[in-house]
Amino acid sequence: MNKNQIKKYLMNLTPLFGLLALFIAFLVLGTIQDINISYGLKSIINQSVVVAVVATGAIFIYTLGSFDISLGASVAVSALIGGMVYNKTERIFVMTLVCIGVAVLIGLFNSVLASVFNLPVFVTTIAMLSVLNALVLVLIRINGTGSEIAVPAAAVKGLNNTPFKIVVLLLFFLISMFIFSFTKIGRMQKFQGGNPVCAKLSGIKEKKMAIIAFAMSGIGVGLGAFLSIIYAPTLTKNTASSVGMDVIIAIVFGGMPVSGGARSKIYAAVVGAFSMTLLSQIMVMFNLNSGIGQMVKAAIFILVVFLATSDQRGKMLPR
Amino acid sequence: MKTNNSNIFKKIAGIAGIPTATLLIMVILCASQGVKLFETEGNWILFFRAAASVMLTTFALSLNLNSGRFDFSIGSVSLLSSVISASICIAMGLPTIVMLLISIVSGALLGMISGAVYVIVKLPPIIVSLGVALFYEGLAFAITKGYGVSFVANGELTSFPSVLNYALVIIFGLVIFIFIFDYTQFGYDYKALLSGQKVSVNTGIKEIPNAVGCYTIAGALMGVVGFISATNTGTIQMALNFGSIGVMFTAFLPMFIGGFIGRFCNEKAGYLLGAVTTAFISLMYARLNIDASVQQIVTALILVGFLIYLNNENKIIELVMLKKFVKGKVQ
Repeated sequence: MNKNQIKKYLMNLTPLFGLLALFIAFLVLGTIQDINISYGLKSIINQSVVVAVVATGAIFIYTLGSFDISLGASVAVSALIGGMVYNKTERIFVMTLVCIGVAVLIGLFNSVLASVFNLPVFVTTIAMLSVLNALVLVLIRINGTGSEIAVPAAAVKGLNNTPFKIVVLLLFFLISMFIFSFTKIGRMQKFQGGNPVCAKLSGIKEKKMAIIAFAMSGIGVGLGAFLSIIYAPTLTKNTASSVGMDVIIAIVFGGMPVSGGARSKIYAAVVGAFSMTLLSQIMVMFNLNSGIGQMVKAAIFILVVFLATSDQRGKMLPR
Repeated sequence: MKTNNSNIFKKIAGIAGIPTATLLIMVILCASQGVKLFETEGNWILFFRAAASVMLTTFALSLNLNSGRFDFSIGSVSLLSSVISASICIAMGLPTIVMLLISIVSGALLGMISGAVYVIVKLPPIIVSLGVALFYEGLAFAITKGYGVSFVANGELTSFPSVLNYALVIIFGLVIFIFIFDYTQFGYDYKALLSGQKVSVNTGIKEIPNAVGCYTIAGALMGVVGFISATNTGTIQMALNFGSIGVMFTAFLPMFIGGFIGRFCNEKAGYLLGAVTTAFISLMYARLNIDASVQQIVTALILVGFLIYLNNENKIIELVMLKKFVKGKVQ
């Protein structure tokens, strides 16, 4: 390896170094301020795991160079319907299946709508965002107390622990990584994202790839909905409200190129999700005003992505 | 002669068809509930305010989106510029017109900073706009300590809402926008870069100043949108964690409608008519007290329906022609 290659390799790993640096900063600051580190870490995992799971599934969509802005709303709708089903059946397993089923159906609806009617995926997801947000309000109004749908806390208490959440994330991550890195589907997805024309000429079916990507993303969304119920069983219109944008930030922060293609990384979602939560936690430790904390977060976000993509800049402005 | 007449008719139908049909449908819907679409002065003010605000947002969004630059930050520019202008005017007791001017200048400055960050870091615009949106939202929150700005009792600053004022905003906005993009070197360069980035740069067009200029203009437009929103209610509420991006979504439907109408006239006039169309719909929602969730669903369905038509227009026309042909054969 020559000097340039080493530099390129290291730059690609910037998001991982960033995560490590944030973790060390958290430990150092936590020790100085004498906070309960173990409690802090649990809180970070609780906050990150939903975004990490949803973002891991969404990587399949991003790899195609597409974009889904409705994921947060999809998590909310899946969780609400899952919660309603639990209240009818009192079975966690059925609730989980419903969460995943609803999310996959929403994803498939998005992809089929875009494929059949030749619509730009992004615009379809914008319309879907409005529909799903409205559906959240309707579901809460007709099925709950008017402002919430509550799953009994005792029913999910046994699952609301860090090891269980880590296992769910790890399992989904390993399955996604296997499909993404070691199967024909993953390779075709990257090819399609990198060069759609060549991919089409090579016989790769664009619509099939989109449907698979949205189905994988749907599984992630469904699991995210399930984890959301476990963490906060009282579901309101604010459930998962920030997940949609957090997923986009996490994926980009983790080093995923927005154009998709061969440079796509499945681990970007997990790295990004944990980095962003660690960053937020550090801001809290500094006791910063929420606004200033968000400004610092924004600056670090741009800086990390800038460093991670320093070998990808061309002469012209990117679009 | 017959062909000429037919072309003129097609053009008029293309330009006025969608807004007129929408107006008719809205009038009928309201009449079916025993309500007039335009009854009081307040209805007219609401209509003109929606048209002005949506038209300017559509200009700002399309300006960069047509060039492949997706900008999530326009809502945050609108928020922060209105916070800056309102705070200054309240503190110094300045009149409404000064607040408007400060909104435009601060919006333009914020847009310019956003464009400068984009050309300096050379990251995809969508990423830059996410960072900028977070930063501006945070700054607005920090300036107001999270409480927002309220000047409900300030008669001077809340005196702006009127049909005449909004109509003036629409006319000036449209004329200036058309002038900049259709009659200046900046506009010619913009169009060249739009149709071929590499070729344009190779022929000597300076892309960086053009891109920063576009962000600056979009910022100034969003400054006016922020001003309209703030002076309407007399309050500016804070938004964190991308709470400001909702503004952007109001512009998609008029942008696509405007793009369609733009085939028959100036595209910017098309955007105005797109905004007018959505303003009719907004007024109908208000007059019939339609629930917010129903509004969201209906608007999304209209957007999808319109896009399905736009993206499959040829197929639909072919299908209609085929049906006519088969019908003719049978007869």
